[in-house]
Amino acid sequence: MQIAVASGKGGTGKTLLSTGLMKVLAEYNPVLIDADVEEPNAGLVLIQQTIETTNVNRPVPEIDLQKCTLCEKCAEICKFNALVVMADKVLVFNELCHSCGACAYLCPRAAIKEKEHPIGIIEEAKLPEYGTLLTGRLTVGEAQSPPLINATKNKKKEAELRIIDCPPGTTCAMIEAIKDSDYCLLVTEPTPFGLHDLELSLEAVGLLGIPAGLVINRWQGEEQKLVALSKRTGVPILARIPFSPELARAYMQGQDPLEAMPYLRSILTEIFSQIKGALS
Amino acid sequence: MKEILVISGKGGTGKTSLTSSFIHFTDNCIACDYDVDASNLPILLQPQKLNGYDFSAGETACIDEQSCISCGLCADICRFDAINSKYQVLTLPCEGCGFCMHVCPVQAITMQPRSSGRWFGGISKHDQAVFFAELRPGEENSGKLVAQVKMMARKMAAEKQIPLIIADGPPGIGCAVISSMVGVDLVVLVAEPSRSGFNDLQRVSQLMHLRGIKGVLIINKWDLNPGICEEIEEWAQKNKITLMGKIPFSIQIAQSITDAQIPGSNSEIKEMLFPLWENIVEQLTVV
Repeated sequence: MQIAVASGKGGTGKTLLSTGLMKVLAEYNPVLIDADVEEPNAGLVLIQQTIETTNVNRPVPEIDLQKCTLCEKCAEICKFNALVVMADKVLVFNELCHSCGACAYLCPRAAIKEKEHPIGIIEEAKLPEYGTLLTGRLTVGEAQSPPLINATKNKKKEAELRIIDCPPGTTCAMIEAIKDSDYCLLVTEPTPFGLHDLELSLEAVGLLGIPAGLVINRWQGEEQKLVALSKRTGVPILARIPFSPELARAYMQGQDPLEAMPYLRSILTEIFSQIKGALS
Repeated sequence: MKEILVISGKGGTGKTSLTSSFIHFTDNCIACDYDVDASNLPILLQPQKLNGYDFSAGETACIDEQSCISCGLCADICRFDAINSKYQVLTLPCEGCGFCMHVCPVQAITMQPRSSGRWFGGISKHDQAVFFAELRPGEENSGKLVAQVKMMARKMAAEKQIPLIIADGPPGIGCAVISSMVGVDLVVLVAEPSRSGFNDLQRVSQLMHLRGIKGVLIINKWDLNPGICEEIEEWAQKNKITLMGKIPFSIQIAQSITDAQIPGSNSEIKEMLFPLWENIVEQLTVV
């Protein structure tokens, strides 16, 4: 089973929820995938052992000037303006290239080969009690995160339970992170920001047809609008995590939230059994 | 004309609370929201007389069923798994590279323009121009939509001789953030004192340095973790990032957001935030 933990707005509690689920579901030997590759944080709140690192590359064109006739065909076909033909050379802008491979395939002189361009790393860490953590870490300055998200998700596919800590937002990176999941948990907070961004992320999840459920974090009783949204969209509210300055403080100080708020454990267990129920 | 960008790396650190307040403290400025996939600044500024415009960047492949001979070449070469076994294009994964169109032996594939979202211009209650956008969920091209919002704001600033653009940035360090940084004079980094807040701050400030932009720092909710707050201050000093001020955890700020009000419009909160804004303005005059 693969569960994606997502939210439109940042800072609503995705990492709290996904690492918490890891801990209460330790018996499944779960794999946690930190797919927020721009700012991966799950590893900061878990104890990791024996980290193994893999480099991730994506292909970009390399021009063989011996063969190139500066015919400009490559610049013509590239939809991303990643190739510019000058008087005596061809400039390649790696950051604009989408690695589609069209230029290399279509060059009439076979003057373009593809070379590997590093975009980030994947760290694989054994967690002493709870399973495995896979962290994708984008190199600072790289613009495109989906290829790295994809590579990180491609590891440990055989695991019985995979939990994905997704990037915020509703763009292609979020879609890449939640796709192929059996269920998507959307974490929100009961503010106008949370509500607005939740509506957008529900639309994104709807595009993929993945069943979803809501978790209201920092709940203080006020929830009319979220209840109305849940009724309108048919996406159930699975749990409410009460607002607690103690939990916020403990979490910020790096303490185990399950110790700071012991009944969080039963909330998380209940969320999982509801997901299992929804999928059976 | 100068441009200030408020970013944080991590989401939920208080960017929009602060940006909206700074805009409220400034008479003559243009407000921008570059968080095009989850834009929250308009919720507080409530711009009126909105004009919306379609934004299309990139294309999607379209296979003509009548002419397709099911040879499978397009599906073979597509690196985005955007063509299914019935030779239909899946619009979500299609990146619009056009590779399939070029290889199709019977010219059954054309490229169609793709709507990526909408951008808007409006006027706030305080008569300030507000620009923001809504990326269609699941779309790429967020960087290009940011560039569009930025271009419109800069155009208006030039035409009406407005000296300042204040922009709310997106979370992360990817394409939308890189695009947000273009032409910016001063970056305001908003950090929260947690391990993740500190970690994300360092990554986003690394990006800022790569782009050669000067940055200043605000630590929000500092009293929730004085230990890491101190570490952040030391780090900032080492990296020549000047601290504009520290804001304690404030139930009042949280309440204004719940009420969809600009925090700085409350006089008690203003007293807390205004000195930080004065420091930022001072830093801006020296860049």
